[in-house]
Amino acid sequence: MKINRRTFNAALAGQALIAGILGRGSSAMALTAGTLTIAQGFDPVSLWPNFSTTQEQINVGSAIVESLFWVDPKTGKTEPVLGESYELVDPKTVKIVLRKGVKYTNGEEFNADAVVNTFKIFTDVKVTPAYGRYAAPIDRAEKTDDHTVTLYLKHPYPALHLILSQIYIVPPKYWAEVGGAEGFGKKPIGTGPYVLTEWVRDNRIVMDANANYWGKVPAGIKKLVWRPVPDDTARTNGLLAGEFDIATNIPISAAAQIKAQKGLRVVSVPSYRIFTIGLSNLPEHPGPLHDKRVRQALNYAIDKQAILDSLLQGEGRLLSGQLLRKEQLGFDPAIKDYPFDPEKAKALLAEAGFPNGLTITFKFPTGRYAQDREVAEAVAGMLAEVGVKAEMVSLEAGEFLRQLSARELAPMGFVGLAPADDPDLQWAQYRSDWRYSYLTHPEIDKLIDAGAREVDANKRAEIYKKAAQIMHDEASVLFLYQAVDLYGVTDRVKDFLPRGDQRWALYGMSMS
Amino acid sequence: MLGYVIRRILYTLPSLFCILLACFLLTRLSGDPVELFLPIDASEEARQAFREQNGLDRPVVEQFFVFTERAVRGDFGNSLRFQEPAVDLLIERLPATLELALATLALSVVIGIPAGIASAYFRNSPLDFTVRGVTAFGQAVPTFYWGILSIIIFSVWLRWLPSTGSGTIWHLILPATTLASTMLALVTRVMRSTLLETIRQDYVRTARAKGLTEMAVLVHHAVRNALIPVVTVVALQFGVLMGGVIVTETVFAWPGVGRLAIQAIYARDYPVVQAVVFFFAVIFVLSNLAADLLHAVLDPRVRLR
Repeated sequence: MKINRRTFNAALAGQALIAGILGRGSSAMALTAGTLTIAQGFDPVSLWPNFSTTQEQINVGSAIVESLFWVDPKTGKTEPVLGESYELVDPKTVKIVLRKGVKYTNGEEFNADAVVNTFKIFTDVKVTPAYGRYAAPIDRAEKTDDHTVTLYLKHPYPALHLILSQIYIVPPKYWAEVGGAEGFGKKPIGTGPYVLTEWVRDNRIVMDANANYWGKVPAGIKKLVWRPVPDDTARTNGLLAGEFDIATNIPISAAAQIKAQKGLRVVSVPSYRIFTIGLSNLPEHPGPLHDKRVRQALNYAIDKQAILDSLLQGEGRLLSGQLLRKEQLGFDPAIKDYPFDPEKAKALLAEAGFPNGLTITFKFPTGRYAQDREVAEAVAGMLAEVGVKAEMVSLEAGEFLRQLSARELAPMGFVGLAPADDPDLQWAQYRSDWRYSYLTHPEIDKLIDAGAREVDANKRAEIYKKAAQIMHDEASVLFLYQAVDLYGVTDRVKDFLPRGDQRWALYGMSMS
Repeated sequence: MLGYVIRRILYTLPSLFCILLACFLLTRLSGDPVELFLPIDASEEARQAFREQNGLDRPVVEQFFVFTERAVRGDFGNSLRFQEPAVDLLIERLPATLELALATLALSVVIGIPAGIASAYFRNSPLDFTVRGVTAFGQAVPTFYWGILSIIIFSVWLRWLPSTGSGTIWHLILPATTLASTMLALVTRVMRSTLLETIRQDYVRTARAKGLTEMAVLVHHAVRNALIPVVTVVALQFGVLMGGVIVTETVFAWPGVGRLAIQAIYARDYPVVQAVVFFFAVIFVLSNLAADLLHAVLDPRVRLR
């Protein structure tokens, strides 16, 4: 077709018409002032934060139902929320002072009864199976007066702040009225800065600011809209299209594109998730990995920096030859990771009786962690360079978890574990009798037990340093890297700072 | 006719039972839901409590027995994830899926049939080549790719349409066109090829010889008869459509049954997976049944067999 003026004008008119009709569509989806729109991978199953440990649902639920304390990522300190302060009366008794004059949005009073009742729910393993580990040290909670609660522990517990920031206080009368967890999860009532207005499953959750909030509602955020968008690419595209203020879990490959767009930025947060390759020395998994020299050789054989730079585009941090992160109590700056040294690896293998190399099964998940298959392939390639032939077994995410838990990821398995932010919760996963521990070392077990009950921070740090040194020398795992969580955020959102466990709170946030 | 209908309906029962058995066994072969529902560091006590609560501690045979007995009554048990009846979850999301499926169906029929007719009638014209090219392309490109591509073009670049979610007619356009891409192409191609065949038939030549207008010949004689296989294809495709729904709903965050299915599968939420798979199977069986019955209505020869 030849383009003349008439066809050109017709085309223009047509385009204007289309734009006119569709223009309404675009205005309907643009971001509105005062509304914070968040896209995440899942729709919560329940809005009761203690229903499960899924971060997405805790983040949504905690805008309505509040906890006693909150560990602020900016300061790393435990900040008061509904609790004003807490102190140890003795190593097994905790006095918690509560905020006064706080009411639930249905008019119920927030007081010691509410807290005691919530502790009862929290410690019932049938109602909160996901929090069994946190509830385990709790014996009982008692009311001292209307605004003071005494918490009795079964044994001294150093990670007390984790329990106190993990328990979300529900109104007892309303809880009973709606029939407990199930009813409450659908229509929660809390003391928080927002109230639930609308929940269309798998589509959107809308919240409005709580007019009678005891604290300060985040400046400029009158409304919250939570949108579940399961596909990573679609979530990123929605952010680029200007439909979301915050998009969680951005794929590494999309980060550059977001940074390039005006008005958007990428918030990258060092994750609590650390990646290692388990090298089993359990009696039920006999094989070359029982020899410490072989395990060390594998550690020398991997160029971890190269993996980080190429496959993860630098988004991550190498482990320092230990499990704990730099910020954690018990991190030992004196311990360094095994350097990349293939010659040394070969020598060690020869010394251990494998001059011609060896063959070993290597299991890894696909689609569970960022670039999991790629990293596993790189590892196998590097091992081949020193004569270790890795027989790769790729596992679907669900099957991977089953095998991890059943100690079937042996003798060599790629895992990323993300325990809560306490050295004990990290270390406890390596105690030889733990369900998915792949190492057995009596002395490490003893140190883990000692660390779990030591309330003195300095002594505790020393215990973990000792354990870390043993584990490093034994090369009980192949140390890899600590991951990074990526969030795409619009510039109008201020002070959005998630924690390494993908939790973030509205406290202190604002929007222009 | 009645005998034929009853016979056809009875044939579906063994298929449905096999589907029940298959989806029960397959879900159980694929890992332990406890791992996915509780955090990895959950205590053994909590894991046991979860198993007991959801009947996962009982022998598999017993679980199947309970499952089948309930399923017959339309009860698939409580979702492990939501702790509420799986069937309720399904029903809650059904309207969204039906909306999407019907929009797709409408698009395919309203565009596909005329396009197929035009393509056949103007055989080997540029129009025919265009239609054939576009349909071949439409069928060849995976739904997933279409979805992402259309989001990039119409949401990210042009900003005309919302990328995900549901609520307004604007939200429906991208997923429906994406889902329609395969079905529309199929309808067009079947329409074209059967019309080409009927045009050559004697009765069409007779009609022309009688001096009827070209339009009358086409509409009353050729197209009418050519529609029979198209109807069959559309009915059969309605079952296939449900498979496409899973992908499309995930890409566009459409709150329907397909998305519920995929999440339930990832989470090993047995009751929901079973309810949804069974539901899809029923739809598939029913649309096959509908195809057969429609065929019998349109073509009396089928009934006599």
